[in-house]
Amino acid sequence: MAKKLLEIKNLKQYFNEGKKNEVRAVDDITFDIYKGETLGLVGESGCGKSTTGRTIIRLYNATGGEVIYDGIDVHNKKSKKDLKMFNRKMQMIFQDPYASLNPRMKVLDIIAEGLDIHGLVKGTKERTARVNELLETVGLNREHANRYPHEFSGGQRQRLGIARALAVEPEFIIADEPISALDVSIQAQVVNLLKELQEEKGLTYLFIAHDLSMVKYISDRIGVMYFGKLVEIGPAETLYTAPLHPYTQSLLSAIPLPDPNYERNRVRKGYDPKSHKYLDDEEVTMREVTPGHFVLCSQREFDSFKKA
Amino acid sequence: MTNNLEKLPKDSFERITIDSTHAEKITKPSLSFWQDAWLRIRKNKAAIISMFILAFIVIMAFVGPYMVKFDPQEVNVTHANLPPKIPGLEKWGIADGQGKLGTKTLDIYEVKKIDEYYWFGTDSLGRDLFSRLWMGTRISLYIALVAAIIDVFIGVLYGGISAYYGGRTDDIMQRIVEVLIGIPTLVIVILMLLVMEPGIWAIIIAISITGWIGMSRIVRGQVLKFKNQEFVLAAKTLGASDSRIIGKHLLPNIMAIIIINMMFTIPTAIFFEAFLSFIGLGLQAPAASLGTLINDGYKFLEYQPHMLFFPAVLISLLMIAFNLIGDGLRDALDPKMKD
Amino acid sequence: MEKVIEVKNLELSFHTFAGEVKAIRGVNFEVNKGETLAIVGESGSGKSVTTKSIMRLLPESSTEFKNGEILFGGKDLLKISEKEMQKVRGKDISMIFQDPMTSLNPTMPIGRQIMEPLLKHQKLSKADARKKSIELLGLVGMPKPELRMKQYPHQFSGGQRQRIVIAVALACNPKLLIADEPTTALDVTIQGQILELMKDLQQKIDTSIIFITHDLGVVANVADRVAVMYGGQIVEVGTVDEIFYNPQHPYTWGLLSSMPSLDAAEDKLYAIPGTPPDLLAPPKGDAFALRSEYALKIDLEQTPPMFKVSDTHYAATWLLHPDAPQVDPPVGIVERMKTFPGSRYYTGNAGGAN
Repeated sequence: MAKKLLEIKNLKQYFNEGKKNEVRAVDDITFDIYKGETLGLVGESGCGKSTTGRTIIRLYNATGGEVIYDGIDVHNKKSKKDLKMFNRKMQMIFQDPYASLNPRMKVLDIIAEGLDIHGLVKGTKERTARVNELLETVGLNREHANRYPHEFSGGQRQRLGIARALAVEPEFIIADEPISALDVSIQAQVVNLLKELQEEKGLTYLFIAHDLSMVKYISDRIGVMYFGKLVEIGPAETLYTAPLHPYTQSLLSAIPLPDPNYERNRVRKGYDPKSHKYLDDEEVTMREVTPGHFVLCSQREFDSFKKA
Repeated sequence: MTNNLEKLPKDSFERITIDSTHAEKITKPSLSFWQDAWLRIRKNKAAIISMFILAFIVIMAFVGPYMVKFDPQEVNVTHANLPPKIPGLEKWGIADGQGKLGTKTLDIYEVKKIDEYYWFGTDSLGRDLFSRLWMGTRISLYIALVAAIIDVFIGVLYGGISAYYGGRTDDIMQRIVEVLIGIPTLVIVILMLLVMEPGIWAIIIAISITGWIGMSRIVRGQVLKFKNQEFVLAAKTLGASDSRIIGKHLLPNIMAIIIINMMFTIPTAIFFEAFLSFIGLGLQAPAASLGTLINDGYKFLEYQPHMLFFPAVLISLLMIAFNLIGDGLRDALDPKMKD
Repeated sequence: MEKVIEVKNLELSFHTFAGEVKAIRGVNFEVNKGETLAIVGESGSGKSVTTKSIMRLLPESSTEFKNGEILFGGKDLLKISEKEMQKVRGKDISMIFQDPMTSLNPTMPIGRQIMEPLLKHQKLSKADARKKSIELLGLVGMPKPELRMKQYPHQFSGGQRQRIVIAVALACNPKLLIADEPTTALDVTIQGQILELMKDLQQKIDTSIIFITHDLGVVANVADRVAVMYGGQIVEVGTVDEIFYNPQHPYTWGLLSSMPSLDAAEDKLYAIPGTPPDLLAPPKGDAFALRSEYALKIDLEQTPPMFKVSDTHYAATWLLHPDAPQVDPPVGIVERMKTFPGSRYYTGNAGGAN
């Protein structure tokens, strides 16, 4: 099996901790990301998938748990130099192509921001050359460098965001719903670009989304989140053909497909957390049903999964 | 549905390959935010006219006092209480030096045997009102501008720090502001002016001492809004320092609102200065500001209406011009703020 | 079949600082009684503007209707007075928006919001309106409707709010319901519930629906007929099966191909290159030609007319002209066409036609 690039252990992110309105956005989740793979993270809005991504990249300070990148705990590093190193290795692509680019900066300066912060280029000439190179990587051209973000369409902006992330030559990219704000015809452009870049540069992705069909397409493995908990994680194919957790099943049964015949015969499944009928003394944890396929379940459920 | 289709030449149905890079082309000319705003404000006639009026007033505030040979502070009792007399206009019956003397209306310049023309007349001490008016405008504008700059400086700093660092810092800083707002401004001002020597700086400090609060609140709101925007988060994930985030990402984005707000702060300050002078807390004679001139003029309203007329018109023009420019800027810089 | 609404040759422009935006450039369609017409398109294709012009919800100061008419119940909605229009809105035609929170008044209990159109348009007494409202809430699947009448919008979840909005919209049994991306803001599982609800209600009260969305999966689920919009024009219209299994316009091909299917493991997604046209300066000829790999010379010169494919199916592409060369659609589309009797790729047996 490939090398573990990122280990997330018992990660917790509580907002308003200890107060009456405490929100457990991320509640004790554990998973690994292997080098060169794409891990898809799906779930409905408010399930904590975006918070997970943002906590991993340290936009929020974790309430508890560890994020270990290449053997080093990201959250315990204090020196500025180490932090900067992580900033280069780990990058993020954001959801809203309209909010993720500073409207008062030229494209040139937006993309070059990482270069400037980390001192990766010397002199204006090299800076411009590098930006042009990055623009071409994402399918735009040098004429675009002197324009402002508002002149671009949604898909083009999202590609600018990708170019900005690529500027510091990261190894690992968190894509936080990068396509959900885009039109269908543009989504495919962005997803193809991400795939190409992965092959070219050997990138590792954490791909956060609620669109299950796209996630299935781009991911090697998929994790499903429900109310701050990871309920099921496994190889993409297995998860789609043989989902075990009832929530995953419900989610899969709801994906709209562009196929009227299928839609006419669709059977939707609901999910009610009470249907598990967990007893008080039952321990509900992640258990490995088949190699690499983990489900949040009790021992009783685990046994029945094994039998099936 | 099928009209004239037969007439089409066959070769027009050849397949062609379109260069896909063509589709990425942006045809619109590249405009920065400020260029775009300028295009918009140019279409706003009221704002443009106001800009010209304001420019005229500012130029006159500097040039005006030197256009006549009289010193704005020189007392000349024999020339007291003269009505306006302007060469050229006198034939038309306006500004012809006619004034009431007792019950009769006569040319007072002739009566007093004065050859000079006092364009806007003189006051009760015989000081030339034309030069005094522009002198006063200059001082009023100066006070307002300095006060507005101090407001912006303190307000942006205070609101910015409060919002950017958030949490406990924000809590404490906002409680302080709430206490300050609770004290009536006039009380603070009167106390200030009792302690300090009356003069320009006393007034500036009096205006700024609570004036920055409005600005700080606006800046705080804006920073709170922008600091969680994705482009700021993106800068953070790239490892940007606080100063970079503030200087490159936050400030340029809230600049428009700061400028708009300043456009409304200036006339408020002018008015507040006039108000202080009017109630006698402002500048002391012989210095003049629009407020002191109005105060002087109002005392002689019945006999010498021109003394009130000119400074009152000027202050009104200033207020309207600044407000219209502010409105125009708001529409141009931040179209969403209209509603 | 009885036509509920007919839009004829609609053309309209917005006047902006940058110039004239030709948002709709000649749109024709009709909705029959009891059917659901889905309008699909990307943002900026004019799909929302079309329906907003039916409701006359566009800002009057900057909108210019250049041409066309919208016939509803024998009247041209573009010509009647604002007063008459107010009677049409909410009574004969009602609308559901994308964000349920913004279409409900946060300071008013939901019961009163449902009663409002009943009191205004149907002149019911307060007690009757109340009874009807509770009935409506029950109809849209709200548990314990009597208790929930007094609650405020913020006390409901997103899906429940959309149910309330639907209840408000259906209060007066409208002849036409316009739903503008009603499920886009919702999660997939909730989205499914709302779609099922709308289909269910449509059968019960026999209303026609115009359903605007960019999600082809949703279209496949709800629509009877589909109109595909691009660059301010309808480029293809047909029954849902015709559009999904026998599409003719290259843009429809592109849209359908760019969605990954769940079972097939494509190596690369089909992506439409470039970006949608700028309607400040719409391209000459076929607006999609610049992004199409099937472009013909004539596409750059003349706008294609609607070619008839079948009685219900029309598409605006020069590829359907008798003189046009035969082209093969993308692989995924050919696969779809194989299942459609009447398409040239249809084969009862397995294996491709070419």
